[in-house]
Order: sequence, then structure tokens, then C-alpha cells
Amino acid sequence: MLKVVHYINQFFANIGGEEKADYPVEVREGEVVGPGMAFKQAFGEEAEIVATIICGDSYFNENLDKAKAEILEVVKKYSPDVFVAGPAFNAGRYGVACGTICDAVQEELGIPAVTGMYTENPGADMFKNKVYTVSTKNSAAGMRGAVSKMAPLALKLAKKEAIGASCQEGYMPNGVRVNFFEEERGSKRAVKMLLKKLADKPFETEYPMPTFDRVAPNPAVKDLSKATIALVTSGGIVPKGNPDHIESSNASKYGEYSIAGVDDLTEETFETAHGGYDPVYANEDADRVLPVDVLREMEKEGKIGKLYDKFYTTVGNGTAVASAKAFAEEFAPKMKADGVDAVILTST
Amino acid sequence: MKLEVGHIFIKDIQFGAESKIEDGVLYVSEEAVKEVVLEDEHIASVKFDIARPGESVRITPVKDVIEPRVKVEGRGGVFPGVISKVDTVGEGKTYALKGMAVVTAGKIVGFQEGIIDMTGPGADYTPFSKLNNLVVVCEPVEGIKQHDYEKAVRFAGFRVAVYLGELARNLTPDETKVYETYGIKEGMEKLPGLPRVAYVQMLQSQGLLHDTYVYGVDAKKTLSTIINPTEVMDGAIVSGNCVSACDKNPTYVHENNPVVHDLFEEHGKTINFVCQILTNENVYLADKQRSSDWTAKLCRLLDLDAVIVSQEGFGNPDTDLIMNCKKIEAEGVKTVIITDEYAGRDGKSQSLADADAAADAVVTGGNANQVIVLPKLDKVIGTLDYVNTIAGGNEHSLREDGTIEVEIQAITGATNETGFGYLSAR
Amino acid sequence: MKKDFRIITNNPLVLEKLGDEYQVEYYEISYEDVLKKVRDEVYKGYRLLTHPLSGSVKPNETPYKSVMVSVSKSGADPDGMKIIENAIAACKKFEFKSDKYKPQVYEDFRLIDYTLISSALPSAEAW
Repeated sequence: MLKVVHYINQFFANIGGEEKADYPVEVREGEVVGPGMAFKQAFGEEAEIVATIICGDSYFNENLDKAKAEILEVVKKYSPDVFVAGPAFNAGRYGVACGTICDAVQEELGIPAVTGMYTENPGADMFKNKVYTVSTKNSAAGMRGAVSKMAPLALKLAKKEAIGASCQEGYMPNGVRVNFFEEERGSKRAVKMLLKKLADKPFETEYPMPTFDRVAPNPAVKDLSKATIALVTSGGIVPKGNPDHIESSNASKYGEYSIAGVDDLTEETFETAHGGYDPVYANEDADRVLPVDVLREMEKEGKIGKLYDKFYTTVGNGTAVASAKAFAEEFAPKMKADGVDAVILTST
Repeated sequence: MKLEVGHIFIKDIQFGAESKIEDGVLYVSEEAVKEVVLEDEHIASVKFDIARPGESVRITPVKDVIEPRVKVEGRGGVFPGVISKVDTVGEGKTYALKGMAVVTAGKIVGFQEGIIDMTGPGADYTPFSKLNNLVVVCEPVEGIKQHDYEKAVRFAGFRVAVYLGELARNLTPDETKVYETYGIKEGMEKLPGLPRVAYVQMLQSQGLLHDTYVYGVDAKKTLSTIINPTEVMDGAIVSGNCVSACDKNPTYVHENNPVVHDLFEEHGKTINFVCQILTNENVYLADKQRSSDWTAKLCRLLDLDAVIVSQEGFGNPDTDLIMNCKKIEAEGVKTVIITDEYAGRDGKSQSLADADAAADAVVTGGNANQVIVLPKLDKVIGTLDYVNTIAGGNEHSLREDGTIEVEIQAITGATNETGFGYLSAR
Repeated sequence: MKKDFRIITNNPLVLEKLGDEYQVEYYEISYEDVLKKVRDEVYKGYRLLTHPLSGSVKPNETPYKSVMVSVSKSGADPDGMKIIENAIAACKKFEFKSDKYKPQVYEDFRLIDYTLISSALPSAEAW
């Protein structure tokens, strides 16, 4: 019989609500707890829950490394064929905990995992591309429906069977396109979709277009003369010699460099690493891409409060949007922490 | 315009002394069809074979698949501008041999592709495994240029199809379907209040082995235009496209265009199927702009409420598809597009080479990069020489045990972008 | 009047057939490097004139690629940039096997690429 380890929080273990959220990791060997009953029924003779791990949501999220290590230790001990967490429905911290621990079990132990939650649970966005995450209703009233999808998926994973498309198995689309045969041919599906679209009824596209990250502009800076302004560029301006070896195209990194006390970028001190435009004018005077000189003047004139004394730079030439986004996610908080009020982003 | 299509069901094909159709069996005189093929001096020799559903047979490399038809009443003849003289078709009466096809096979270029398996897992991926196929394998005369040879094989297939279609001229169809579309004003009066819908078909039109012909005109030299969907049923569009087996439209798909058929199903009930709009997929970017501008303009001119747009091929046409969709939507015409995906073997790559938020209603024919292992079959019609070099195969494709590991893009019709098949992806 | 287009190619047949009459820039580089060269030109302000994924023969299958760009600069062409970037991204989706064919197959690849780029000539010359 296949072995399953099940993870749930303090609430679903009937220990208590928010007041018990600091409940530490507890293992109940051979015991089926709370939603485990529904899973047990769904698994029938094919699989058994060999242990249930209970952990308070606050405990998990506030002692992340410790909790993770403790749970991994337990899972390792039972070496199950599959690990099941939740379902977490719309409980945010529970969802994040389920995703985190499933991801860790897969990555560190090589054991497949499945969880379930409501699409708007923050854990879904964080982990649906890493862990099979079944889409559930937003409350525990949807338990039966959730288990009816999670259990068969868990069994398939345990048996190392091929996993069908998201719409067949009930997991959230995870960025992996899987083929399957529909009951109606494509043209018929197109006509049906068209009729729905014509009638302004909801319809489901079979291929959602890649989402475009449109950023709504922030409100205008109220008083520039008091604002700290930072410079960030994808134009590849780096200290002469490109000390961090930022690639000339398809950059995999960004640089953080000080311009404290620098009034002007000169041919001797700065250059561009960018391979996608004629570098002559940027190398001659890097202020043309990263306008330090002008901002220093404005700083002196009192037009702006202060020029931030570091700048961030990468090469935009063919660089993946995902990489660019990851760079900014790393350095934006630093600028924020240092009190930067506004950023001038220059490209080429 | 009104067309009656009489279906004559062919349940088997057999070679015989005389070509005829009797009790649903098509008897083919090899001598007679050989003569039909060898009319063209570019073809040195020809072999015929029969592949039936369920048989342990693999046909490869497939060039075209054609359904034999004959025009029994009304203007013109099948394949106008190609086999018959140029004359408007699409009204009157046409008979079609259902349940069978003429399949042309054989090498044209060294990376030729297209597999039809009549049994096993590969058969699930090709719609043509369900047909009785008369396979025509041509050998070229020596020293012939590829484009001359492509044309010779293309025409040989049509001639054979027309020859077989003629055998049905005096038969009584097993069933008859009637298709009728109306003039603009007439349609509005007859079907008041029904949303006006058209089908925008993008035709492959990039050059040698990538061409489509409308009444014999090379589609890359055309402006977007209007055609009556019944004209297409008489072979007004034929394929000269031999590359990208999974998502090219063989002539059979044009004759039996599934979007046309499924829109006719709703015609007069939930929609008014106004017409079909043909546009191309040229290499030159300004051509794309002109053609998509023109398509959107026609949609507006016809006061359409909605369209379905279908695609043919990979890469370059993704740009036409998105341009068409964006511009048609911008005219306030609701759009559904049909495409297929190249998401990589692992399914993780970006599926299309272009994208736009306006394309919010997409039907997909599946991921063409999916890997499949095809078992060894007892008989090969054509040759396996090219299996290692076809798209979606590699040097290990033909394995020692006779099985073949390929991406489904090697299979004829696997991810068809007119929605001819059942495959999809999520 | 001088034609405002040139062909960037790694296909010797394109050089041979079109080199005398048109501006052909021939490089002995890979399919993907042709696309990258085109990308660099597009970022310099030259217009992309033909689709870099012309033809249904897939990247990494055919080793040959010819793309037309403008001779004169006309400023940033965001559509062209998007098309060429997507084309480069598409290369990695296909198994590399451009070096696995028998010699005569390369002739066919050269011919197909040549006919694909030739199909753009009537339109390009119409300006």
C-alpha cells in the first residue's frame, strides 16, 4: 500500500483557532486527523496516511527555518510515496505554509507533493508553479470537492503516473502545457466560445496570453526640493572596466555602485557594458545615459532635495523580463529603506 | 449561394480490373490511375497502395491528403483554376467520396515530413488514420528542380482525386447536406437579429513548399478577400504546403474546413454566417500589415459582430494571427482565434512567437513539441529514410527496435489550426 | 533610386543568387547568430522588414536564415524589436539537429531559405 504523510494546521486538527496558532510541530503517527478522514476514504485500499503532521500557522511562518527542518525530518523518517498538505482554502498563512513545506519536501527529499487552496490565497501565486495546487472553494465547505481532486492527483503522483492537463486534474495552471484530447474538435470549441463571447457570457480561453506587467504610476512627488532621487538604468553604465562583468546582452545580474561625491561621469571613470547600441557616445560621456551631472546641478540649485548616493544598473539588451523583475525586487526595497522618494529610470 | 453536397460513403478501397464504385467499395484500376499520374513528364514512375483504418501501416513522408469530389450540377468543376477552368464554383450540386482520401507521398526535399499511422498511438493524433487511403508514391525524373517536382506531385494528387470523383457522377448519394449563404441585404432580412459572423482563414503563403492557391492564384500575391464558404467545398483552395506536418492544412482540410462546417451548424439558428474572409501569411512585414489592415477593414465593412480566425503554420504566422486579432477586435468585432503551441518538449516555453491581451479567446490544437514513441508497424508506404530528419525527430528517432521517437509535429494534422482535431492543451 | 533594404544571411545560395543585384551581407554564423545580428541592427534603428521566423522549417532544424532589414535608419521600431526578440527566444524550444543531415539535405535547406526571402522581394522592391 502506498504511504502518505499529511500536513494540516492547528485549526483543522481541532486544537484551536488564532489563539493556538503558535502551536509547535506535532506528529501523530498512524493517526488520521480532521480532513485526513476524507482523504482516507478517498484513498480506499490504495494508500494509507502513515502520519499526520500538525503545525500552528504562526509557528510555521515565524520560525520558518526551524519548522521546515523539523517537518522535513519527520517526512524523511516515514519516506512516504507522496506528501499532502491542506487543503488550506482561503486561509492565507496556512496556504503559504502548505506551499512552502510541499516545495521543500519535493526539493530536499525528492518526494512528490500536492496541496490545495483557493485561487486568491497568497500561497497559490507563490507556489502553484512549483507544487501541484488544486483549486478549491474559499471555505472548508468545499472540503469534499477539494479532496475529490487532491486524492486522485496524490495517488497518481505516488504511482509516478503521467499527470494530465490542469483542467483534467483540477490543479491550477502551472506554466507547463500538457496535451490531451478534448471531446469536441477545435472548430466546435471555437464556435461555442464565440457564441459565449457574443452573448457576453463568461468563457474560458484555452491559452491565456502571457500576462503583461502594467504598472500603475505612483502619485506625483509633492515637493521635489525635499525629495531624494535615485538613478537606475538598463543602459549598462558601469564603472570603467565593468568590475562585476555584467553581460553585454541577456544580463543575468545588475550592479550597485556608489556615486557619492561624484559630480560628473567621465570617460576615465565610467563606460557602458551594453552590446545593443553604438557605445561611442556613452563611453565618451556616461552622463548621456545616466545623468549624474545634471542631477548634481539640480541638487546644488535646490531643485531636488538630494541625489541618492548609489545607482543600480543592468543591460536591457535581450534581458528576460523575469530577470529584470527579479533584479528590481532585490534592490527596490534597499532604496525604499534608505528613504528614496523617486527613481529616474533611464534606458537607451 | 446554395450548394448541395451529396455524400457517397466509401467503406473500402480495392484494386480491380476496372475503376468503379459498387456497394460502397471503390475499385481502382492501377493501370488507369497510373496513366493519370504519368501524364506529367516530370514524374518517372508511380506506385499505388491502400492503407485502411486499423491496419499496421505507416505512410510517410506525406505531402497532401485530398478528398475526391465531382461537380454534378452548377457552374465550374472541382479545383477551379487548378484542374478545372476558372469559373465560380460553390453552387449547385457536388458529390464527395466520404471515408476515403488520396494521399500523395514521397520525397520532395531531404527534410520531408508527415507521418500517418493507421493504427497504434500515432493514429490517435492524425485525423487521416480514420480514412481508407489510396496512397500515391511518385518518383521524379532525374535532375528535376524541387519546385517543379512539388508542383508535379501536387497536381498528380488532384488529377487522381478528380478521376476517382468522376466515378461517382451517376451515383445516388447516401446522404445530402445543403449549405446556403445569403447576400448582405438578403441575409439581414432572412435572419433578422442574428449576430453576423464570418470566418477569417489565414493561408500559408511564404514560398516554395509553403504556398496555398485560391482559384489557382498564389495566395501570397493576393489582398485579403471575401469568398463564399461553399466555394471552398468545391476545392477553390488547394494546398501546396509541405512543411510543418502537424499544422499545415492539406487540401482535404480546405475541402472539409471544420470551421466552415461548424459555423454552418449554427447558421440560421444562433448566427448569420455571412462569409469567409481569406488572408495570407507573407514573409514581408509590410505585407502583414496591409493584409491584416485589410481584413479588419472588411470585417467593419460587412458590419460583422464576430469572427473566428484560424492559422496555418509556425512562427511567422503567429505575428499575422495577433495582428488580425488585435485589429479586428479594435473594430469592435468579437474574435476567437485558433492556433497551436510550440511550448518545448517540457511544455514550459512561451507557446507563441507573439501575444496580445486582445487575444482573450483562444482555442489551441495542443503543444507540437510533445514527444511520442510510435511502435514499429508491419508495413511502411513511402520510406522511413527521412524519419531521422523530419521536424520533431532527431538522429535517434528511428530506434534499433524499429520504434520511432518523434515530436508530434511530425504527424500529419496532429495540431491542426483550423480545429480539425480533438487535441488541446492547458 | 537605391533600394532601401539589405539581406542579412548565412546562406551562401542567397549570396550567390541575389548578391549581384541586391545588398547581401553574408556571414558564416549560426541561425541564432543571424537573428542576433538582426536584433543588433534593429536596436541601432534599422527597420526589420521580413519576419525572422519565416518558413515552417524550424530553428535548429534548418541551419540557414535570411532576414531583410532597412539600409536607412528610421528610429526605434518597437514592433520589430518585439518580433526579433520573440524569434530569438523561440530558438531554444527546438532540439538542435542542424548538423545532423546528409549533405544534399543542406542544399534543400539553402533552397527553401532562398525561396522564402525571395518571396519578400516583389514587395520590398515596390517601394
